Amino acid sequence: MGYIWGGIKQAIALIIQLDPEVVEIVWTSVKLSTISTLLASIIGIPGGIAVSKIDFKGKYLFDTILNTLLSLPTVVVGLAVYSLISYRGPLGQLELLFTGKGIILGQVILILPIIVALVRNAIHEIDDRIYDTAISLGATGTQRFRLLISEARYGIMGAVVAGYGRVIGEVGVSMMLGGNIRRVTRTITTAIALETNKGRFSFGIALGLILLSISFIVNFLIYYLQTGDKE
Amino acid sequence: MKKKEIILKAENVTKYYGQEKVLDIEQFNLYQNAFNFLLGANGSGKTTLLRILSLVDKDYNGQLSYCGKEINKQESELLNLRRKFSVIWQEPYLYNKSVADNIGLPLKLRKKSKNCIKNKVAELAKELKISHLLDKNSKQLSGGEKQKVSIARALITEPEILFIDEPTTNLDYKSNQFFNELFTKLVAKGVTILLITHDLYQIEKLAEYITILKQGKIVINEHKEQVLNEGELEGNNIIGQKLVFA
Repeated sequence: MGYIWGGIKQAIALIIQLDPEVVEIVWTSVKLSTISTLLASIIGIPGGIAVSKIDFKGKYLFDTILNTLLSLPTVVVGLAVYSLISYRGPLGQLELLFTGKGIILGQVILILPIIVALVRNAIHEIDDRIYDTAISLGATGTQRFRLLISEARYGIMGAVVAGYGRVIGEVGVSMMLGGNIRRVTRTITTAIALETNKGRFSFGIALGLILLSISFIVNFLIYYLQTGDKE
Repeated sequence: MKKKEIILKAENVTKYYGQEKVLDIEQFNLYQNAFNFLLGANGSGKTTLLRILSLVDKDYNGQLSYCGKEINKQESELLNLRRKFSVIWQEPYLYNKSVADNIGLPLKLRKKSKNCIKNKVAELAKELKISHLLDKNSKQLSGGEKQKVSIARALITEPEILFIDEPTTNLDYKSNQFFNELFTKLVAKGVTILLITHDLYQIEKLAEYITILKQGKIVINEHKEQVLNEGELEGNNIIGQKLVFA
């Protein structure tokens, strides 16, 4: 047990001293995850609204596939994107492998189904009376759409935060597509795996504590947003 | 008895839900600056007709006319007319905002200034005795309070026609009386009201024109006195009896 406590003490010291390597890794993780979440949200929010409002042939099958994709294993996404962007793959010329852009591409694919599905659910949960009410109040088509988004705002924000929570903690995509390159693609999760293997236990714990704190904040936000519309 | 002008007319209006014809109106007249009552048993098509007349539902066959002019279903024309109407729903939906924002919403949609909205909301809330609710979130309100807020929201645009679907379901006796008086004052000021109700007291006291629907068809669409003259019974009994048979 002694080495665990010792590791924790050293980890806390690393965090308090704002160890430059720790800061750099955390910054890379936060930066990549934020960009991935933003891009996935730009596609996923309109996508989720469209899926909830538009009826089309095969929608049941589409919904089933979408629900299945919610639990996509990160290494499977990593593998699929790797096969596309590796030097022999169809997108090899873009030279995305082992770059931040490569990680972002994989993470967007990973969380896109989550954001689409959760936004779809958020729109479904809205009371149908909102439409008649908006029309009778004299809202234009655009104003009706804005009112719809406004009513679903907590659910939509919850979907975005859930997506962020998924990418900040994933390891498969970052490892396979980023290659864990120091100062370029080394994220919190890939660094924990590497440094612990190298015997830098306290460094791994420091990153683990930071990741845990981020996860706590993300979950707190999700809980807050889920209860926000039931004030 | 001088007949009033017709402000809204429906001719040969039919509405289907799937294969089922739920509304089959040969002619319906809504009389201007009058208290029009729409009566009928549950499922007779009252709310369906109200949704069509208030232009909320445009998925129907037939022709509506406003002040003698045919209404086409172009969105811009519908929007212009909808902004002259207001609807008070039986189960009102309030947005997840403050009461003040809910009441001011129709004015915001019409791009009125913030100051104008604020002043009108405060003025109307005072008149309807709901000033104490303005800062609350709509989710915190009781059923009756929600209904009062929805009434304020409907009145803030000073509509020409007010469609009201069983407004008193959630209100206590005192509030009921208050709003009956308010609606009467509105009619006196020139507003046209179409009210769906089962309340015989309201019918007896307030109704000017009465429409009775039976299985989607109009049985009566006349002045109350004319309806009463048709029978031997007095007061609301004749209407009540017609309703029973409707």
